[in-house]
Amino acid sequence: MSTRVLVLLLLLAGILLTTLTVTLVLRPEAPLSIRGLGKYYVVYTRQNTSSPEAVTAIVWDYRGLDTIYETVVLYMAIIGGLALSTTTRKIALKTRIGLTSIARTATRIIVLLIATIAASIALHGHLTPGGGFPGGSALAITAMLIIPVYTLQSLLDQGVSSTRLVAVRGLALTALGLVAVLPVFRGLEAVTNLKFYPSHVAGMLISGSLWFYNLFEFLAVASGFAAVALYLSIPEEFYREEIRGVRGGE
Amino acid sequence: MIVTLIVLVIALLLSVVFIYFAVTEKDLLKAVVFSAGQSVCYAILLHTMAAPDIAMTYLAVSVGLYSALLVFVISKTERYEV
Repeated sequence: MSTRVLVLLLLLAGILLTTLTVTLVLRPEAPLSIRGLGKYYVVYTRQNTSSPEAVTAIVWDYRGLDTIYETVVLYMAIIGGLALSTTTRKIALKTRIGLTSIARTATRIIVLLIATIAASIALHGHLTPGGGFPGGSALAITAMLIIPVYTLQSLLDQGVSSTRLVAVRGLALTALGLVAVLPVFRGLEAVTNLKFYPSHVAGMLISGSLWFYNLFEFLAVASGFAAVALYLSIPEEFYREEIRGVRGGE
Repeated sequence: MIVTLIVLVIALLLSVVFIYFAVTEKDLLKAVVFSAGQSVCYAILLHTMAAPDIAMTYLAVSVGLYSALLVFVISKTERYEV
């Protein structure tokens, strides 16, 4: 038996022993009641935000500004990465051949499925678990599937570049900020929900601003992570050539 | 109740196994796969503890995005740890 497996077995035995000892000696019990704050959210979320989903209501309504600033932090991180990977010349890669047509067809179907599920996670975020962030990250996975199968060059030929994706993210973020700020022009507080936005559109529950926040967050997260995937998938040789070119020019 | 507890214990112990293999693995690509396995265990834990929102985000980010990003990063360096 190798030492690796032996150490693992010892580790598991230790964990089991500790847990059993703690359980038998301290006898911890789960609380049977919820705290006052939790009770408030359970009772009043529906009438305050018109959303049956308390988590989305807390994330985008009760604590809306926090979430908007978190999105801005992620935006800054993505722009920082983009600044590090900036190149002086146009990216032209040598390998233009992706995977076989079997893989391409399968990817096409899977990408469609993932995009549908991502959209449903994001746009139903005010009704069921989910929301803009999980939906957006699920959509960004399609970009990471397309890059190895169809090659980065085919995406670049279509006009999809990380700079453009970051621009889309900037636009989505601006729209997100506008949704938060628009009520101010009517004399209401920022991040006002039901006093300004309708709870239903054409008989469908959209829970006021929650649906708009989820939609724009979905676009922002998806384009942001896709931009990261694009600039990370530029092969290292390209950067080496770039450095050599700069040195040769001097 | 007892089924929930059994699922929790199995997922927790399995996640320890995955973490251990991910840390000790010399092949970085395999380590990424182990790390994804650990994330699946944690997603099961979160779902058993009635947090489907977090489970969904965790699954999309740590199994999908994180693994894919790490594979891109490994393609820029060497595959084997010395």
